Amino acid sequence: MEDAVRTTGWSTDGRLATADDATLVAACAQRAPGSFQELLSRYRRPAITLAYQMLGDLEDAEDVAQEAFVRVFQAIPRFRGQAAFSTWLYRIVTNLCLGNRRRKKATVELDAVKEPRASDSPSRQVTEVLLTRQVLDAMAPELRAILLLRDQEGLSYTEIAEALRLPLGTVRSRLSKARMSFRQIWTELSQLGDEPS
Amino acid sequence: MTCTLYEEQLSSYLDGELPLARAARLEAHLKVCPHCQAELDALGGIATRLRAASSSLRVSHDFDRRVLRAVGYWQVTGWQRPTKSYLRPLVIAALALLGMLAGVWHFFSGPFEPPPTWQPQPAAAIVAPASPNAPIPAAPQKGERRDQR
Repeated sequence: MEDAVRTTGWSTDGRLATADDATLVAACAQRAPGSFQELLSRYRRPAITLAYQMLGDLEDAEDVAQEAFVRVFQAIPRFRGQAAFSTWLYRIVTNLCLGNRRRKKATVELDAVKEPRASDSPSRQVTEVLLTRQVLDAMAPELRAILLLRDQEGLSYTEIAEALRLPLGTVRSRLSKARMSFRQIWTELSQLGDEPS
Repeated sequence: MTCTLYEEQLSSYLDGELPLARAARLEAHLKVCPHCQAELDALGGIATRLRAASSSLRVSHDFDRRVLRAVGYWQVTGWQRPTKSYLRPLVIAALALLGMLAGVWHFFSGPFEPPPTWQPQPAAAIVAPASPNAPIPAAPQKGERRDQR
């Protein structure tokens, strides 16, 4: 892999865009020009989205994602590749979010939930998005993290176990609990929104 | 087995993580239990809701620049920041256009000469007398040139 990095030179010839993550990580560890930008380009949005769903605020989410990428850049020469790069990045983002107690409450009140529910209408979509954010807000951070890693980012149980450093059995039981929690809070908030004022 | 025990397995079943024998028992239960089937459908919809909640997220346009600045990328790699590739052809095109315009202007304008103008002037102004007492020369006859005195 190192030979490949040297021989290509990793100039801006478009090869970076088609390289797999492991090759990119190796190139980035050698500070090859453009390699870190390509990693940024691939994982900028997933990292910010995960942080946003964890924290509930875009500005905080971008700060956390920025800090995560800084740590990645500094530590990548020591990255052994035992886990996938994405798993490593998600672990950093999740840990930073769990350490960040600044999660802001959803600013939209439950009045928004009282809108008429015509199927497929834009107002219903908006209502569901707001409700989803409120449910996440009400969940325990550890349950929120495992739910997002699985149902939003699509990590496997093994990858979640690596990212959160949990036994596989704990991943299974905690994920079940997280989904049940989401479902229960969703039902409660929906019923609250349907009550006449 | 009660519904509560089956519900605990729904999450793993949804992800294909349930052992085959237990998955078979759960599937048999789902066929006769609309409550557990509804729970399974609801759990399966969580992923869709989460993705919908973040689909309209707009990342700041300068996020990459902020990260690169934060890590000191240009100093660490010792690599020059690449010029914006889309600017170069624009600059070349603008210079070529300016050159063409200058060429066209030069071709049509030629050396500068003010347009000829004719203004009638009094004869006294044309040939001034040598002295105040000198006789004023007679006006030239028709067909006679003034400088043939």
